[in-house]
Amino acid sequence: MRVRVKLFATYREIVGRRELAWPIHAGDTVGTVVDGLVVKHPRLRAFRETMLLAVNEAFAHADIALADGDEVAIMPPVSGGLP
Amino acid sequence: MIAVQRGRIDIEAVVDSVRRDDAGAIVLFLGTVRADPGVAALDYEVYKAMAVRKQTELAERAKAKFGVLEVSIAHRLGRVPVGGDSVAIACSAAHRKEAFAACGWAMDEVKRIVPIWKSEAAPARRRPRRSNV
Repeated sequence: MRVRVKLFATYREIVGRRELAWPIHAGDTVGTVVDGLVVKHPRLRAFRETMLLAVNEAFAHADIALADGDEVAIMPPVSGGLP
Repeated sequence: MIAVQRGRIDIEAVVDSVRRDDAGAIVLFLGTVRADPGVAALDYEVYKAMAVRKQTELAERAKAKFGVLEVSIAHRLGRVPVGGDSVAIACSAAHRKEAFAACGWAMDEVKRIVPIWKSEAAPARRRPRRSNV
């Protein structure tokens, strides 16, 4: 089983890819995937607590279980700016 | 109208998309690229499928929350030069009060939940011209 991981902005620059295929096992969650990516790309670690996560285009918590073919997005906080 | 686009936003088309005979007010908000020091343009990176989905949700929520008639949201993707429009939101309503409220709320929400990131682009440096001579 595998998921597609999409990376944006700073995270895309750190990983050097916009999108990659990531293997998963039964019971893996969004958090499992993020943990794996952080191990492979340690510069992501500093952002671990502020990442926005989404599964299949909907915001998701790290404990959401994944299924084969899911699209996982790992995103910095949205641009924001002053109101 | 919900759009995430690389080309210029057609403001008149955005306004026309919310016109209705039962509307007595249309509020249009434009976000524009400000000439901060050292900034020549802003580059917008977008998770397009999710951005379209979130903008659609926002427009529907604005209608339910404020009782406005139509809401359109168009956002740029890619490079927008200083002075260019990066986002346009138009709301129509029977009366102006709801239209102003909905438009302000929708813009705040765009900044909060639509997956768009901007980075500053500095002016291009002039490079010495190469000569073949």
